[in-house]
Amino acid sequence: MKKRIVAVLLLVAMIMSMMVACGGKKKSFESTDVKVPNSGYDGSKVTIKFAHTMGAKLQEVLNYHIGEFNKLYPNITIEHDTYGGWADIAGQINTEIIGDNQPNIAYCYPDHVATYNMSMTTVSMDNLISSTVEIERADGTKEIMGLTQEQIDDFIPGFYNEGKVYGDDKMYTLPMSKSTEVLYYNKTFFEENGLSVPTTWDEMEAVCKKILEIDPKCVPLGYDSEDNMFITMCEQNNYPFTTASGEGKDHFLFNNDQCKSMVKRFREWYQAGYITTESIYGSYTSALFTELSKDVLHSYMCVGSSGGAGYQIPEARAFEVGVAPIPQADPANPKVISQGPSLCILRGGKTTDQQVMASWLFVKYLTTNLAFQTEFSSTSGYMPVIKSAQDNEAYAGWLNRANGYEYLTALVVKVGLEAADGYFTSPAFNGSSVARTEVGKLLSQALAKDNADIDKLFKDAYDECVYMAS
Amino acid sequence: MVESKQQWKAWLYLAPAILLLLVFTVWPIINTVSMAFQEDYCAQRALMGETYEIGIENFKKVLDYGNFVDYLTNTMILCVATVPISTILALLIAVALNSIKTLQKGLQTIFFLPYVTNSIAIGMVFAAMFNVIGFRKAGGEALADSWGIINNVIMFFGGKPVDWIGANSSLAANRFVVMVYSVWNALPFKILILLGGLQSINKQYYDAARVDGTPRARVLTKITIPLLSPMLAYVVITGFIGGFKEYSSIVGIFGDTMGPNDMNTMVGYIYKALSTQKQGAASAAALILFGIILVVTLINLRVSKKRVHY
Amino acid sequence: MADKNMTTMSDRNLQSITTSQRVKSILGKAGIYLFLGIMALIVLFPFYWMIISSLKNLSEYRKAIPTFWPHEIQWINYVNAFNTANLGRLFLNTLYVGVVSTILSVIITVITAFAFARLEFKGKELLFAMLLATMMIPGELFTITNYITVVNWLEWGNTFTALIVPFLVSVFYIYLLRQNFLQIPNELYLAAKVDGTSDIKYLWKVMVPLALPTLISITILKMMGAWNTYIWPKLVTTDKEYELITNGLRNAFTDTSGQADIPKQMAAVAIVSAPLFLVFLFLRKYIMAGVSRSGIKG
Repeated sequence: MKKRIVAVLLLVAMIMSMMVACGGKKKSFESTDVKVPNSGYDGSKVTIKFAHTMGAKLQEVLNYHIGEFNKLYPNITIEHDTYGGWADIAGQINTEIIGDNQPNIAYCYPDHVATYNMSMTTVSMDNLISSTVEIERADGTKEIMGLTQEQIDDFIPGFYNEGKVYGDDKMYTLPMSKSTEVLYYNKTFFEENGLSVPTTWDEMEAVCKKILEIDPKCVPLGYDSEDNMFITMCEQNNYPFTTASGEGKDHFLFNNDQCKSMVKRFREWYQAGYITTESIYGSYTSALFTELSKDVLHSYMCVGSSGGAGYQIPEARAFEVGVAPIPQADPANPKVISQGPSLCILRGGKTTDQQVMASWLFVKYLTTNLAFQTEFSSTSGYMPVIKSAQDNEAYAGWLNRANGYEYLTALVVKVGLEAADGYFTSPAFNGSSVARTEVGKLLSQALAKDNADIDKLFKDAYDECVYMAS
Repeated sequence: MVESKQQWKAWLYLAPAILLLLVFTVWPIINTVSMAFQEDYCAQRALMGETYEIGIENFKKVLDYGNFVDYLTNTMILCVATVPISTILALLIAVALNSIKTLQKGLQTIFFLPYVTNSIAIGMVFAAMFNVIGFRKAGGEALADSWGIINNVIMFFGGKPVDWIGANSSLAANRFVVMVYSVWNALPFKILILLGGLQSINKQYYDAARVDGTPRARVLTKITIPLLSPMLAYVVITGFIGGFKEYSSIVGIFGDTMGPNDMNTMVGYIYKALSTQKQGAASAAALILFGIILVVTLINLRVSKKRVHY
Repeated sequence: MADKNMTTMSDRNLQSITTSQRVKSILGKAGIYLFLGIMALIVLFPFYWMIISSLKNLSEYRKAIPTFWPHEIQWINYVNAFNTANLGRLFLNTLYVGVVSTILSVIITVITAFAFARLEFKGKELLFAMLLATMMIPGELFTITNYITVVNWLEWGNTFTALIVPFLVSVFYIYLLRQNFLQIPNELYLAAKVDGTSDIKYLWKVMVPLALPTLISITILKMMGAWNTYIWPKLVTTDKEYELITNGLRNAFTDTSGQADIPKQMAAVAIVSAPLFLVFLFLRKYIMAGVSRSGIKG
């Protein structure tokens, strides 16, 4: 049998050497730029595929607005489909790109766009945004292809700038619907004990100490996501984390003394019993926050996603939940992470110019249309990306119902919108997702391991990033 | 002795399988091999017309990976420890199921249930068994709100609880959990195959043994195992092949970070490389893994040739 | 006299042997049941967990410390699961793909295993070795190539064909069935040849019945495949008309922030698994029926 198998291997090697020259289909664009034709979108019949991760409820909202959009552009057919979760959508689109079957519009995170960019499949939106070509809509009104200055200014700047985190000054995405991290706190407990809500990390340390004195059986603060924690701390303190420019190891800057001292500080917090994270606690820290029994571990503060507000509500109105922006290193220059879907436009060898134009019009509609933005926000609990959303009467009504009980979602969105100036997104490149995972892992171990060797943890994380990105 | 008619007929029978395999298995393998020998091959960039030099750089790159040995060790331990244990357990269960009369149907039904159990549920059960929740140290004493089922058992017998999968857990504890999971995961399939195999054994052998008053253990070693040997060889060989390709069960236990001690395996490396669009390195790793599995399978086949009675 | 004594003695001996044997056998039986009982509990646990999770409400499910019995049984999850997902169509799609691919796959497996186990042809060993070798390459890398083959070359995107054909040949099952076929004595085949029985008839009348338990196992495993595949169906079928159960369930119960409503999802899984389970119960008879009619050598 052995000889036979060796023979098989030789045969395979032989076939292989014949096939090596045979690669995939060459598609390729010189650049990601598009030229807007003189007539813009010319009203021709086109079909657009839109890939997203929406659940059933959000798809209802989307379907309604596709109808609205079709009143303006009846010849643009939008087919949309949910691709599963965040990991699924990136994997599937990357495969579809290789087969030149990618959707025209996709829900995306910057990390995903960085991989689509490797084949220049993403369209850079700069020419589209600046286009002044005027087109006529089916209801007789007119609009310009691009964005007006008014529209651009209406975007929350931190969200809008996410489109440019790719290191080449080009704009690849428009924000669709966003979430961030907020500080949930037990308002009832804070008021009873005369505690004030921390606005800086130094204040946070002091508050944690006080809470522990009041209730020694608790852990005052739960931080849900270790990777967000690391990245946000770097951004707030201006410590180098990653950069989108350069090649391979140039991208990764986090292996430095400033980051190490930051991590060491939180290790001290953990050892003092101030803080825990999801992986250390063993479950969502929202479960810790809503825990009502004082016999088991519980917390009075939780830094978690604004999108998950529903999970921070305790049973039976047991206490009032307060929501505040996360503490800052420098309150004069606040920084909070921006998360949630953006939209990118993809094109392949078979994509026509008119499809790109039609895709752009729909992306523009979804990101700038007040009715859609507000409805989507109140259904999803995510934030709208335009400032004018708050002027909308129905939406303002929804926001005004905000309270620390069953309308916590509205409260969270309200707080999130107030933090408008501080939003940031970390740079995106092929390998940026590795950096995110690695620093999260690093942080949880630096906190929890009995004899954590911080230098080694940093070195291992750095080596892994460099290896995977080069 | 080979008649030409039979030759012709054999190829006719094999034709559908060969045709489908050529298209859906051999062709992808050829592509894999071709990617493996192109330096730093990246499918996304290849679309842009980028070309690659032919060489063995990808293989060097895989071997250079800092965690390569760890991943290989994880994979090896997983196979060597779990395949024999799960095979022996499955054999005992199948034989026992086959030998009883009362409750036989009910018990068999239970051993089929894993097939209709969602994999998410299995992940949740492992969390309930091993996850320590709310761990803290108070005055030198370790406290937790929930130690998990396994620790509860350990503590019931006066032992000390262990952090199995938490952020401060040890490599040995992680490995133990993965092994338990793998054995558990493999059991239903092996029981099904062996139970099916047992039915093919002529009942006369057992009747004869009963008349002679042969002890159970002897019946097992002298009749059942030899007669079941083709199926045992099958579950062992495919068990090793499957074990070397293990990945998803570890994600099921530890999540994408693969736990505090990086319990990743060879296939995990392939996934990582694919996620950063390094199809060249991923292909090379797949071929290295193929080489390892091949050697192990050859050893298995050689051993089984001596032991298996058809 | 002496003779009589001897007989009674040996009688008594015989009696005491049988009692001790009986005690031994009862103890042995008890041991077997104990062992099976413990193993059954272990195997049963995930299933139990699935059922109780499907009866919890979301906030109880998300509690850090798991509860072993729902505080309040939520039958409503089942009602919601039934109404939310388009279970009927998902089920029919999956059933169709499952049944067609199982039938075709079993036929291909039988004739291929027969050729390897019974027929003589040049390069048999080599070909079988090649077949085994294909099992050893991790299939993660096949996805892209197969995707391009199926969607771009064969243009099977959005068809059931794309879900069925690429997975019809399974070397795992061919190998399994070959092992089983090899156990059937060659004399039967030669005798059949002398009688002038055709291969197909022999295969159908002798080999298949003798290997029935294994074939049933293969059927079960293949059917389960249709219930569990996820990545491939999503990739090649974008049209909802062809959606299979796993994809449908994954998408239906994801809430707005992207987190899955596990209790409802578990309820849905329980609903769609029930028919499958009944099929198992039905097929089990055939696995255990055995082939005691003899014919298989040892």
